[in-house]
Amino acid sequence: MATPAAVAPQGAESAKAPLVDRRLRVPFFLLLLCFAAWGAAANLTDVLVGVFRSIFDMSNFQASLVQFAYYGAYFLLALPAAFINRRYGYKAGVLTGLGLAAVGGFLFVPASQALVYEFFLVSLFVLAAGLSILETSANPFVIAMGSERSATQRLNLAQAFNPVGANVGVLLGAVLILPALTSEAAKVIMTPDEIRASQEQDLGLVLGPYVGIAAVLVLIWLLIAFRKMSVPVEEDADALPRKGVGRRLWRNRHYRFGVIAQFFNVAAQTCAWTFTIIYAQDVVGFEPHEAGWFLQASLLVFLVARFVMVYLLGIFRPAMLLLVMAVFGVVCCLVSVVALNIVGLIAVVAISAALSLMFPTIYGVALRGLGDDAKFGAAGLVMAILGGALLPMVQGAVMDASGRTSLGFVVPAACLAVVAAYALFDLRTTRSEDAHQLAPAL
Amino acid sequence: MRTRRRPGPHPRHRWSRPLALGVACTLVAALAACSDGGEQDVTVGLITKQETNPFWVAMKNDALDAADDHDVDLVTATGSSDVDVESQVEAIRRMTADGVDGILVAPTDSRALVPAIEEARAAGVIVIAVDTPTDPTSAVDAVFATDNRRAGALVGGYAREKVDQLGITPRVALLDLAPGIASGELRREGFLSGFGIEEGDPVISGSVDTEGDEDLARVGMRELLAEDPGINVVYTVNEPAALGAIAVMRDAGIDMAGVVVVSVDGGCAAMKSAVRPGDLDATAQQYPENMAAQGVRQIAEAVRGGDRPSGYLDTGVTLVTRYPMPGVASENVPFGVRNCWG
Repeated sequence: MATPAAVAPQGAESAKAPLVDRRLRVPFFLLLLCFAAWGAAANLTDVLVGVFRSIFDMSNFQASLVQFAYYGAYFLLALPAAFINRRYGYKAGVLTGLGLAAVGGFLFVPASQALVYEFFLVSLFVLAAGLSILETSANPFVIAMGSERSATQRLNLAQAFNPVGANVGVLLGAVLILPALTSEAAKVIMTPDEIRASQEQDLGLVLGPYVGIAAVLVLIWLLIAFRKMSVPVEEDADALPRKGVGRRLWRNRHYRFGVIAQFFNVAAQTCAWTFTIIYAQDVVGFEPHEAGWFLQASLLVFLVARFVMVYLLGIFRPAMLLLVMAVFGVVCCLVSVVALNIVGLIAVVAISAALSLMFPTIYGVALRGLGDDAKFGAAGLVMAILGGALLPMVQGAVMDASGRTSLGFVVPAACLAVVAAYALFDLRTTRSEDAHQLAPAL
Repeated sequence: MRTRRRPGPHPRHRWSRPLALGVACTLVAALAACSDGGEQDVTVGLITKQETNPFWVAMKNDALDAADDHDVDLVTATGSSDVDVESQVEAIRRMTADGVDGILVAPTDSRALVPAIEEARAAGVIVIAVDTPTDPTSAVDAVFATDNRRAGALVGGYAREKVDQLGITPRVALLDLAPGIASGELRREGFLSGFGIEEGDPVISGSVDTEGDEDLARVGMRELLAEDPGINVVYTVNEPAALGAIAVMRDAGIDMAGVVVVSVDGGCAAMKSAVRPGDLDATAQQYPENMAAQGVRQIAEAVRGGDRPSGYLDTGVTLVTRYPMPGVASENVPFGVRNCWG
C-alpha cells in the first residue's frame, strides 16, 4: 500500500549529513529488503484472488475474502504495532513483524496440504499482521537511522523499494503461478480424485512464492536480531496525543471527510488491482498467464504516473489535481463497465494513473493546518486502509449477483466519485471555517 | 599477522587443459545420455477439418502446447472445409508413410475415411478420432469427443424451459450440419430429445443443412422463414450457423425477445457477440483443448510403454447462458468467455 513520504525538516546542511549512520548501514540495507518484501506480498495477494477462485471453484465474493483477511489484518494491527514500538522500541517491532510474517508465510505449507481455503485466509491474516507491524516499525526506524536532516531522503529511498517489491510480487504470480494452473476446461472432465490432485498441484504453485518470501524474512530477522544497534527509542511525550485531540479532529470537516476519502481511495485501489486479472479473463478472454501482465502494467503505470504527478503538483493546486484525476478514474471505471473488450481492459489499467497521486495527496490535504494534532490525525488516515478490506467484497458480490464481471467496476467508480467530491469540497471550502470551529478548543 | 598472497597468474600444470577437456566431454556425454535415456521419440499427426473455423485452429494450438509439454513432435494437416474428405484421406496415407506413431483425426465423413484409417492401423499407427466418431467406431483405437447427444440435449432442455417461461407455442427450425457426419446427427437427436419431441413432430417447422457455415445458414434460414414466418425456436448445429440465423431474423425485423436460439460450440466470437448480449440464448460449450491434450498425451504414453488408448473419452460439455433457467444447470457468461476457444 502506498504511504506518504515523511515530512522532516531539511536544512542547508542536509547535503553534508550522511544518509545513514555508518554503524547502521547493514540494518538499513536489510530494512530496504523489508520494504520490498511487504510490497511483494501485498501485490501477490492481488494475484491470489483469481488463483483461489480457480483452484477452489468459488464465487468472486468468496475469493475476495483474501483481501478482507489481508487488509483487515493491516487495519487491526496498526495500533498494537504502535504500542510495541513505544513500549519495546523499533527493533523489537521490526523483529516481531518479521517473525509473525514469516510464520504466516510458512503456514501456507500446512494450508496447502489441508486443501482448506479458510486455512489460507488464516495464513494470509498472520502474514499481513506481521507485515503491518513491520511497516509501522520500519518507517520510523528508518527515520531514526541517521540525522534528522536527511530523514526525508532516507525514507523516500526506502519507500522506493516498495513499488519494486510490488512489481516483483506480481511478476512472481505471473511467471510462477498463473501459467501452470490447471485449466477449468481440463477440470470439466476430471474425477473428484483428479480434481483433488490438481488442487494439490496448483496450491503447490502458490506455496512456492510465499515460502520464498518467508525464508527471506527469516534471514532478515536473523541478521537484524544478532546485530548490535543503538537506535533512538520513540519518546513517549511525542507519542501522547494532546487533550481533546479526537474531538477537535472530528469537528474538522477537512480532516473528517479526508479520512472518508482515504477509505474510498484505498478501496478503489484494492478493487481495481484485485479484479484486473479477473476482468482480463472474464471479459476479454485472456488466458491466466496473459492476464497477469495487465496487473503488472497497472503497477508500472502507477509508478510512472506518480513521478508525473510529483511534477504536476508543483504546478497545480493539489486538490484541483486530485479532482481531475478522480474524475478521470471514474471515467475509466465507467468505460470498463461498457466497453467489453481490450478498450475496457486498457481503461482498467489506466485507473492506476488516477490512483497514483491519491494517497499522499489526500494525506496532505486532510492534515494541512492541524498543527500538533497532525501526528494523531495521521493514524486515522492510515487506518482508512480498512476500505481495502471491505469494498472488494462488495465488488465481488455485484459481479456474482449480476453475472457481469464488468459491472463490478461501478464500485471503484463510486469510490473515486467520493474522492472527487472531497477534492471539490476542499476547493470550495475555506480553511478558516474549520479554523473558526477549532478556535475555542485550541 | 596474516600475509596476503600476491595477485598474479596461477601456475598451470601441463596436463590441466586436457584434463579439463576430458571432464567437460564426460559431463556433456552424461547429460546427453540423461536427456535421451527416459524418453522415446514420439511423432503425432493431427488432421483437422479446416482452418477457417476457429474450433480447429484452437485444437491445433492446444495440440502444439500439449506436444511441447510431453516432448512430442507434432505434424499437422487440414482439409479445406467440413466436408473435404479427399484431403484427409491423403493426409492419413502420407503421415502413415512418414512413420508417425499416432494420428488424431477429426473425420469429415464418418464412413469415407475408414479404409485409410484401417491401412494406418495395419501399419501400427495408433488412430484416435477427435470431435467426430467414425462409423463404425471400432475403426479407430479410441474416440475423444464431446458427447454430442448430451450437448444437443442440454440446449434442447434449456429451450423447452425458455419456451415454457415465455409462454409461446413453439415453431422449431433445425439448422443441421450435413448428412453422414455423426456429430451433427447426434446433436440433432439430442436436441429433439431434450426439447421433448421426436422426428416428424408437428412443431418442427423445417430443417436445412448448413455444413456449419454462416453464409449457408443465412441462405437456409431465409428459406425456412419464407415457408414459416412464425418460427420462434431455432436450433443450430454450431455457432457460425447460429450467427447466420440471428442475422437473418434481425434483418426480417423479428423481435428476438420472443425467439429462443440455441447452439453448440463455445467459441469466443459467438460467446462475446451473441451469448453475452443475449441474442444466442444458450450454447453447449465443448472443449477442443481436452481432445487435443488428451490425444497427444495418451499416444505419447502408449508409445513409451503405457496402455494403448481405447474406447470413448467424453471431453466435456457445459451449458452457458446469460439467462439461467430454474432447474437447468448452467454456467454464466464470464465462465464461457474464460473457457471459450478461438
